[in-house]
Amino acid sequence: MLVFTRRRRETIMIGDGISIEVLRIGRDGVRLGVVAPPDVAVHRKEIYDQIREANQKAASAPRDLGAVAERLKKHA
Amino acid sequence: MTPLSTAQFERSQSVDPITPLAPEVSRDAVRFPNGLPGFEACRSFVLMHSEALGPLQCLKAVDGPEASFLVIDPRRVLPEYRCELSEADRHRLGAINEATLLWLVLVTIELDGTITANLRAPVVINPDRMIGQQVVPYHCVYPIRHVIAEGE
Repeated sequence: MLVFTRRRRETIMIGDGISIEVLRIGRDGVRLGVVAPPDVAVHRKEIYDQIREANQKAASAPRDLGAVAERLKKHA
Repeated sequence: MTPLSTAQFERSQSVDPITPLAPEVSRDAVRFPNGLPGFEACRSFVLMHSEALGPLQCLKAVDGPEASFLVIDPRRVLPEYRCELSEADRHRLGAINEATLLWLVLVTIELDGTITANLRAPVVINPDRMIGQQVVPYHCVYPIRHVIAEGE
């Protein structure tokens, strides 16, 4: 892992299209500004991990799809 | 966790063989340039439905690792559902006209039978460009685990 010390308003460049600037340093956190090309998705990792976990659960097979569909017709 | 295979889908009782959705949506696969979180290698999906599946549809990966998801129109779950796409999401979807976008949310059947929908990270498909993406809107008040029906 590369480790940098950065002060407020200082920036890290990744490749030639991504930059991360330290906007504010507070007691509870550091506020960062990310500039990236539109095709690069930027996520907060803990949220991404939650979505990934939810997707993995969603991909497991239900036992009886017909019954699931019947129950859903009542609720959705 | 085993992905739901087509074979399992077709074997499940009281479900008709899966028939394609509207021809304009299913003729070709929808490209997901980033895959889905956890399924990054799945770059291509088809959307299928069947009479017996009712409001559910199936988003099935093609041309990659096997994966399929049950999905539903979020407004069937929550009529006032609305999420804001970021500029970058709109760009990735090639979306000029947001009105034509197709919004879906992933449905999970939990072990006790509870049916939940992930309203936090909807799948958005642009049928004009056949590009899809699971988006994680930054300002989103909806939960990852929204209960549609409690288990027995």
